[in-house]
Amino acid sequence: MIRAYELTKRYGEKTVVEDLSFTVRPGTVTGFLGPNGAGKSTTMRMLLGLDAPTRGRSTIGDRPYATHTAPLHEVGALLEARSVHPGRTAFHHLMALAHTHGIPRRRVDEVLDLAGIHDVARKRVKGFSLGMGQRLGIAAALLGDPAAVILDEPVNGLDPEGVLWIRNLLKSLAAEGRTVLVSSHLMSEMALTAEHLIIIGRGRLLADTTVERFVRESGTGSVKVVTPEAGLLAELLAEPGVQITSDAPGVLDVRGTDGEHIGRTAARNGIPLFELTPQTASLEQAFMDLTRDSVEYVTPSIAPQPEGAAA
Amino acid sequence: MSTGTLTPTRPAPSAYRLSTKGVLRSEWHKLWTLRSTWITLLTGCALVLAVGITMGVTYDGDDADIDTIVFTLFGTQLSQICLAVLGILVTAGEYSTGMIRASLAAVPSRLPVLWSKAGLFTAVAFTVCFVTNVVTFLAAQIWLSGTDKELSLTDSGVLGALASSAAALTLLSLIALGLGALFRSVPGAIGAFVGAVLILPEVVTMMPFSAVDTAVKYFPAQAASALGSVARVENTIAPGTALITLALWSAAVISAASVLLKRRDV
Repeated sequence: MIRAYELTKRYGEKTVVEDLSFTVRPGTVTGFLGPNGAGKSTTMRMLLGLDAPTRGRSTIGDRPYATHTAPLHEVGALLEARSVHPGRTAFHHLMALAHTHGIPRRRVDEVLDLAGIHDVARKRVKGFSLGMGQRLGIAAALLGDPAAVILDEPVNGLDPEGVLWIRNLLKSLAAEGRTVLVSSHLMSEMALTAEHLIIIGRGRLLADTTVERFVRESGTGSVKVVTPEAGLLAELLAEPGVQITSDAPGVLDVRGTDGEHIGRTAARNGIPLFELTPQTASLEQAFMDLTRDSVEYVTPSIAPQPEGAAA
Repeated sequence: MSTGTLTPTRPAPSAYRLSTKGVLRSEWHKLWTLRSTWITLLTGCALVLAVGITMGVTYDGDDADIDTIVFTLFGTQLSQICLAVLGILVTAGEYSTGMIRASLAAVPSRLPVLWSKAGLFTAVAFTVCFVTNVVTFLAAQIWLSGTDKELSLTDSGVLGALASSAAALTLLSLIALGLGALFRSVPGAIGAFVGAVLILPEVVTMMPFSAVDTAVKYFPAQAASALGSVARVENTIAPGTALITLALWSAAVISAASVLLKRRDV
């Protein structure tokens, strides 16, 4: 359980995080979303006690992080900026951290295996690719077998296999009853991984919700269906709460139900489906709408704004 | 790359525990798993030994008035830079690489990290310097025996001078380590060490006030120059006072670094 109480961080005049309160519960993956510069990394550093909040406080496992007898057993963290000495090998990096808590060498080997970097464990981190660096960071985060994990943009720099690995890893960590807080600036990625969402913009809380509710309330989460028997399928799917629209012959846009239900209904009735696609792009759109006013760096061409408006 | 699954069993809460001993082991491990440690230490030793042997081989009786230990350990002027750089790398190196975030996330109380670094560095630097000094002395004496610089390890004051030279080098480098923690930047700390510790006193002594000359004798590098000699070095404070002065300087810099380490964001 991770709790933030009115966390506020100012650097001189600039307020990076303001009155941010939230709870991250064990057993689910909580996505921490916001555009670049929203204050995600600063918040995570405050949770870990690396940055002192200007005001407010946070607890991990019902106590301030620094007061735990085994901090690495409470929280494992992957921070956005690399936190490794490039001149040390992956193994020695982990072993040095392990020594602080009396974590045995066996556990270091375990997390090296888990992260899939056993083969390069004896190489200096200097030569690591971005993806290997991320894997080492995750190995370090899991070293103390922590009750909570805090991961800042873990899929950055990972290849598709790595992205899939992270998704499964996060879900399995949550399934084991751990608290999982993972930041991202991509709604589509979070929609696939997270159950709960904390969305911030310009350091302020914009939404504290579940992915399901966010999808429902944002009116997105439609499913594109391509079938030669569009008319028949539309009739079969019709029920209260389900909206079906069609932009082209043989193409349906179905809202209010999911791909599984549509697929089963089609199968039961022998209707062939050529395509069944959840429309996550619209989810991304809903996220952008929500955070539009709080985007730190606006690209004029994609977000035209009147002259003089606050960016 | 292969991927495994996480072991589902969580150990009993008491299995892993943050401890001072653990932090010391961690810092010990960190120190010896970087090439820069070996390079700076071995270079420092080699310089002292090489200069010492050269001094012995080339001695022609011209420098009769120079203390034998000072004469033999002339290379410590060079190895001082190596050791100071190592001290700076131990602390500032963690900031320039980002390692400090991992270190302080593991040890959120922070101070044990700095103090373990300082303690281990002191022990390692002193041991290495002392052993190097003894070896260099014995090697140089192969050529110096039979001259007016013939001395034995058991002669009065010899071991003390070799040890106090090592202590001076160690404490000056400990100041560098503290500056590394204060400046959090390797070039910044090296600049501060060279500028404030090695050059500033030379500039200050140009001032025509006798009070300044007296004060400068208590500056770190000047206090260090009172050490490492069998005979009392002219124009310096007493060796005992010098040792205490150096220890106070390092304690002051480490204390300032400790206060800021507690306060600053990383």
